[in-house]
Parts: sequence; C-alpha cells; structure tokens
Amino acid sequence: MKPKLLLVDDEEGIRKVLGISLADSGYTVLSAENGEEALRVFDHEQPDIVLTDIKMPGMDGITLLRRIKQQNPETEVIMITGHGDMELAIKSLQYDATDFVTKPISDDALEKSLQKARERILIRRKLKEYTENLESLVHEKSARLQAVAKSLASKASGAQQPPDPSRYQKIFDDMPCYITVRDRQYHLTAANRLFRQDFGEPGGSCCYELCKQAAAPCEDCPADKTFHSGCPQQTEMVFKTQTGASFNTLVWTTPVRDAHAEITHVLLMATNITQLSQLQDHLASLGLMIGSVSHAIKGMLTGLDGGMYLIDAGFAHEDQAQVMEGWEVVKLMVGRIRGMVLDILYQAKERAVVRTPVDLAVFAEELSSLIAPKMKRHGIRLVQEFAPGLGRFELDAGQVQAALVNILENAVDACIEDHQKTEHRVVFRVRREPQQVVFEVEDNGIGMDADTRAGIFTLFASSKADKGTGLGLFVAAKIVHQHGGEITVASEPGQGACFSMRLPAVCGEPQKNHI
Amino acid sequence: MAKKILIIDDDPIIVKYLTALLEDNGYSTCSATTGAAALEVVKREKPDLITLDLEMPEEWGPHFYRRMTKDPELQDIPVIVISGMAGRHAIKKAVAYLSKPFDPDKLLLTVQRAIGLPD
Repeated sequence: MKPKLLLVDDEEGIRKVLGISLADSGYTVLSAENGEEALRVFDHEQPDIVLTDIKMPGMDGITLLRRIKQQNPETEVIMITGHGDMELAIKSLQYDATDFVTKPISDDALEKSLQKARERILIRRKLKEYTENLESLVHEKSARLQAVAKSLASKASGAQQPPDPSRYQKIFDDMPCYITVRDRQYHLTAANRLFRQDFGEPGGSCCYELCKQAAAPCEDCPADKTFHSGCPQQTEMVFKTQTGASFNTLVWTTPVRDAHAEITHVLLMATNITQLSQLQDHLASLGLMIGSVSHAIKGMLTGLDGGMYLIDAGFAHEDQAQVMEGWEVVKLMVGRIRGMVLDILYQAKERAVVRTPVDLAVFAEELSSLIAPKMKRHGIRLVQEFAPGLGRFELDAGQVQAALVNILENAVDACIEDHQKTEHRVVFRVRREPQQVVFEVEDNGIGMDADTRAGIFTLFASSKADKGTGLGLFVAAKIVHQHGGEITVASEPGQGACFSMRLPAVCGEPQKNHI
Repeated sequence: MAKKILIIDDDPIIVKYLTALLEDNGYSTCSATTGAAALEVVKREKPDLITLDLEMPEEWGPHFYRRMTKDPELQDIPVIVISGMAGRHAIKKAVAYLSKPFDPDKLLLTVQRAIGLPD
C-alpha cells in the first residue's frame, strides 16, 4: 500500500511542484493550503506523513504539528522552514517533528527526511507486531498455567491421585547440575543424568567413592550435617571423576522426609563452578602482583631518595666521593625500575615470536657486554664458554636476549648475596646440539633450596625481598615456552645454580602458558 | 656524646641513606642488615633508638622485635618502623610508623620527638 502523505503549504506553486515529485516517488499525495484545512483532511484521511510549511497565515506550522501529534502521536511530521527559521525549526523538533527541510527544498534533503519518516513508521509497526505477539503468547501461556493449576488442585483435593512420577523424573534428570540422593549410610540411592554421565551409575556406591574417588567419607560432610540438624547446608567441594578430572563445585543439601517427618535421605545439588574458581585464582594472582609490584616500587623509590640525598649532601660538603656514591645509587635504582617496568609491560602484553636468523656468536658476545659492567662493579668474573662454529640460528633475538639478561642478572644477584665464598664467577655457555641451541648460565652464588626451586618460574615468586618482583624468571620462562623450548634449573643451597635454556630449531607448536 | 641510632634494613642502599641522613643531622649510627645480626648490635651498642624494616629475608622485623623485648635491659628502646608494608599493627609499641618512600624531614622530626636533639 502506498503511504499517504499530506502536503500543507500556502503557496500553490510549491504544492503543485512538490506534489508531482512526491507522487512520482510513490506517495498518495493529499494537500491543504492552511492549517485549518489540513486538520480537516487529516481527520478524514489519517495520513502517515505530513509535510508542512512552518510559516503560514492563520494557524502556523508549529500549532498544526502540535494538534496533529495530539490526535495521533505516531504521525510523522516533516517541517519546511525558511532560511532564518532555525529557532522555529528546533522548537518543532522539541514537539517531536521527525525532521525539517530548508527552503529552497533540495530533492536529496527531502528524500532523506522522508526515508527517516518511513523507517520510523516501519520500526513502530514491527514493534507493535512483536508486542502483540508477546501479549498473545502471555495470554496463551497463562491460560495453560491456569488449567494446570486447576487440574492439580482438583487432583490434590479430590481423589488423592498421586502426581505423575515420570514427569518429576524427567525434571530431575534434565536439571543442568549434579543431583544425588543419599541415605544415612553414604549410599547413593538416586542420581540425575548429568551426574551419571560424569561420575558413573550410583549402583549402591557410596557418595565419597563416586564424587571424590576417596575411600572414606569427607570430613565436614554437609549431608551428615543436614541429617543431624534437618537444616539445608551450602558448601564448596572439589569433585573428582574416575578419569581424574576435578571440578570445583558449590553444593547445596536439603533433607528428604518420609510420611512421619523423619529424615530418611538427603538431596545434594552441586553446581560446577570450576571456571569461577579459576577466575578467582587469576584475580588473586593479579592482587598479588599489585602488592608485590607496589612493594618493590616503594623500596626502589626509597633507594632513589637515598641516592639523591647522597648527591645533595656530597655537593653541600664538597665531597666528590659522596656525590659519586649517590650517583651510583641513582643509576642502580633507575636500572632496577627500568627492568621492572619492562617486565611488567612484557607480562601485560601477549607478543608474537618473530624469528630471524641470528649469528649466535655475535648474539652471545652482545649479551655478555650487557651484563659485564654490573659484574665488574661487584668483582664477579664472567667466564664465556662459547662452542666453536655456533653458526646461525632462527630466534626472536629481542625476546631471547631479554630472557637471558634476566637469568644473568639473577646469577649476579645470587653471587652478591653470597658471603660464604671469597671469589665469584658466572659461566655463560652457548652450544649447539642436534636440532637445538643450548644456553647455560651457571653461578656459584647462594643457590636455592627445593621449595624455592620449585616455584621460581611462577609469577611473583621472588626470594630477593625488596629487590625482586618475581616477574623476571616468569617472563624468561614465558619467552622460552613461546619458542617451543624448555628452561630448567639445578641448584643446591650454598652451591650456586645452573639454568639451562633449550630452544628447538624447528618451530614446534608453542606451548600455551596460562597464568 | 651524640645519641646513637641503630638502623636495621636488609637493603644496604637504604642503610647508607639513613646513615648519611642521621649523621648529617648530628646523630651517631650503627646498622645491621639482618634481624640476627641486629640483636648482637643492640646488645653491644645499646642504641637510644632503632629504625626497623618489617620485611627482611631470614628474620622479619616483628620477630626480631619480640626477641629484643624479652631482654629487660633492651625492651624500652624506642622503635620507629620504616617499611614498604602496610602493617601498623605488626609492632604495636612502635613510637612511629613511616612508610617507604618516607619524607626525610618527617623522619628527623619523629626521631627528635622520640629522643630529642642529638646531644
């Protein structure tokens, strides 16, 4: 059906010309020469769209707009405005005009306004359809519910007919969580489909056998508490399947009573919240990071203050040595802060590995020159053992360098911390093995015990108190894993440590390293 | 004789900083970088005041403090906690708690309030 459009303008010429072009565009065009006539036509014909001049003798366009909107708010009214009528035009929008076009009317501007009007009509029509559909759906469903309620009531009050058990069984089975029923002897007497699917058929087994692969009841069994108190319980438990998968679950219990109100069974409902728990862990490690990083920053800032103080005091006392001492402290602190910031940035960003062929001997020399000044300052000897004929190797030079610098700096720190030995050295080895390159960093510093060793590649494990954030080795391990390689450590307390980093030559599947 | 302050912090740079700051203002100082060493220094030097870091490898500040206060001769030495940790309750009897990075003027004022001017 063609949309009906009412064109209102006191100038006959405009009515004629616009009328023809609008009819050409597929509208049924009605027209009126003033507001009063327009309202009469509107009453009679109920057009979808009204296009009206804003300035007319007698009733003006704004009044006409308001009257039309009063009668039928869904009518789309487009205003035609003169050049200096901007205020009026804006006023018309406040009265919910669809749009306005300025004289002289360009076909494009008018078409845009009309299109806007048509879209609004279409959307409104669709919305109406949906609403009506929804209403009829609600009517239909509530009628059905009422019928069910009625039949239930008549069954309950009338013949004491038992409810249809198969229907309850179906609901029980379809519940998207684990539901079991347990007697006082820990035997499962029923289980829903999801439970049977993940944990196996109950078949008279005990709950702890099926849910936990355990040989004895859990301490703090919530079902026991419910048997005892008659009250529902809520708790978190870890369930374990026969295949060894474990789920974190949230468990509710509720008593099941017989005709004499005795509790004979307890119903357990468990929801898998493993993902939630993982998220919790992730958040906890983030919190840990913020704590660890802020602690480290505080220490570094205090050190920086110290360095600046020494410089100031040195200048005041004209003590060149103290100025130099302060300057060394400032350099050291700035270096630590830089290292930490880079580690944090690295940790925050997922980076792709970009391999390029690298001359290993040159690469190893460069690395040595990065760490050598720090070692020299602390009187630690650097022993380079680069195998001959290392050749070229494809790796992400920037990333592998960052990883090795972290390891080398740790080796230096381990030597500085050690006060037992009189001489310290760090051995940096590079060699080729079939299909891989091996980097080794061996120090004779303080070494590590088994506990420290076990955790060093995890996030925020630091054994360096104020000086470490626990990011360095984590980042190193992440880089190595991204290269498809492996990193290991051998160490004993007081005996130093040896880190080995092996990177494969061919690009294997990078190991996904979740934190 | 100038009043003596014992500085306990595992970071040698911070020890250096506090030493210079306090000595420039007329106090005499001694220092320790572990809790175990600190107890020896306290016994030997009998300081008038102690600045104490809370988090140190091997022995933490609060543990050192508990051991020190078991000795009746040492238990009344005032302690100022200077730490990056938020834990005002770790040492309840501390005369002041400054968090790192601390304001040097505030530290000097706190020291002065606790034990007065250097001599």
